Amino acid sequence: MTTETGTTTRIPGASTAERVQPGRDLLWRIVSSGIFAKILVGVVIVTVWQMGMDSLGSNFDYVARPTGIFEAIPVTIAPEWYFTTFLNTPEAYTPIVQAAHERFMAGIVSTMGAIFVGLFIALVAGTIVGVLMGRIKAVDRLLNFYVIAFYAMPMVAIVPVVVNWFGSSGGGTRMAIILFAGFFSITLNMADGARATPPEYLDVAKAYRAKPWNVWFGIAIPAAMPYLLAGIRLAAGRALVGAVIAEMLTGTPNSLGNFILLEAGNLRYNEAFVAVLVLSFFGVGIEVVLNWSTRMFLPWYRREGRGQ
Amino acid sequence: MNSLWDSRPIRFSTYAAGLLIGAVLWEYFGGKVNPSYGAPLSATAKRFIFLVSNGQLQDAVLGSLQLYFVGFISAVLAASLFGLLMSRLNYLRVGFENYIMLLYATPMIAMVPFIKSVLEIGFAAKFTVVFLFGFFPVLYNTLEGARSVKPEMVEVAKSFRSGEFALWRDLLIPHTVPFILTGIRQGAGRALVGVVAAEFLISSSGLGGLIQDQQGKYSMSGVFASITVLTAMGLLLMWIGRVLENRMAAWRGLNR
Repeated sequence: MTTETGTTTRIPGASTAERVQPGRDLLWRIVSSGIFAKILVGVVIVTVWQMGMDSLGSNFDYVARPTGIFEAIPVTIAPEWYFTTFLNTPEAYTPIVQAAHERFMAGIVSTMGAIFVGLFIALVAGTIVGVLMGRIKAVDRLLNFYVIAFYAMPMVAIVPVVVNWFGSSGGGTRMAIILFAGFFSITLNMADGARATPPEYLDVAKAYRAKPWNVWFGIAIPAAMPYLLAGIRLAAGRALVGAVIAEMLTGTPNSLGNFILLEAGNLRYNEAFVAVLVLSFFGVGIEVVLNWSTRMFLPWYRREGRGQ
Repeated sequence: MNSLWDSRPIRFSTYAAGLLIGAVLWEYFGGKVNPSYGAPLSATAKRFIFLVSNGQLQDAVLGSLQLYFVGFISAVLAASLFGLLMSRLNYLRVGFENYIMLLYATPMIAMVPFIKSVLEIGFAAKFTVVFLFGFFPVLYNTLEGARSVKPEMVEVAKSFRSGEFALWRDLLIPHTVPFILTGIRQGAGRALVGVVAAEFLISSSGLGGLIQDQQGKYSMSGVFASITVLTAMGLLLMWIGRVLENRMAAWRGLNR
């Protein structure tokens, strides 16, 4: 059992790859490969979307569809280059297009910036409150109910209240919603993690007469890293939704959420969809970074069900 | 040191103290601030009783619950069926998984204007919003279940001449159900956000509509009362999800 695995000696003709004949089997291998499956599904999704929207008729010409979005990408990201250099039709580079492009770029910076700042504050505050809740029973009893209740509270619902406090022109309301969306999920997970600190660690700490804060910040937080990462993952998704909700409901100027609404209002749905793509990639980017840092910094931690 | 804290009277009184402090703070600061910023607990309670007595609150809760359950149950059914299919057909899973991840990470709230552009304003549009909010968390988690079906298990089942039906009944469904339940627990909260978002952004109805209505009447106490009811709904749904998950997924031994 131990000697057989891991050896690289191969018996000729034993593996299926060598037994198959070239030609027809090469085609079969391409078709059955994962990459092909992914491309195939992508093509099917795009085609169904395109044909579905086309079938709505000419009354729905403005509805976002792949061909339109494909053209809208350069129009929103680099209209000057696209119209004057690439297409050589400078007259199509209208002030409307230019203004939309500027709002789009400003929106990316402001929305992403707010989410990063908000998540960072939520992470620091949530970690501290969470570790105290997890390690000190009195704190836990006092706060537990509120953390769970605010976590369960749909964050959209508080936008009409928060907008009275912070107004709609600046990013105050949006920042408050991002913090609200992020803080409680991180606190909740951190508290769970700190509660689950392995008792052996605590015994050792006690034997060496460690101070309470050494236990909190030196033992409980590192031991709770997997919980914290789960919390950040949750918080990031919620913060993204919360930011866009706040932007849409309060009309935060120069933000992606507001960009979507404005472009949609001008029946430029394809351009609006480019902002959705940006938000999707941002969401995936967070996920990728978190997965990468889990592997990088917590090699001992493998999520169950992740497979291979 | 634990025994004292865990004794029943101490536990009860510390929890009660937490609630009491919160109530006192709410009452004090709610009464002190500008009435357009907030309302004290007593006024909120009074407004709550008023909204119940004229039936507005019950109508709103029923409206929201209807939207929630129709949307979320369809999402759960669709996502778990599709997820199960993916657990059997590896090719389908490999083809779809990246797109599912992409859509799972997309804030579905951003799709609302596009839904509005295709569907006319009404129940169908709101249903679609709630469906999308609930569908992807369930599907994403079911996908994780599908990914972790061990090929050896299917092979063993096959070599014991298991039929297709028995394979699903005895292997795929029991394996996937805990993952579906994790997805349900995650999606339950998101779908509630979807309900309120749809009620705010598509057309005013249910609890989201009640919040807007009370705000229009400059009644912060009414807004707070509606939000409190909404939070209670959220807590209840979360609790149901957790109980279901613990009951059906105990064998995974994860207790997360």
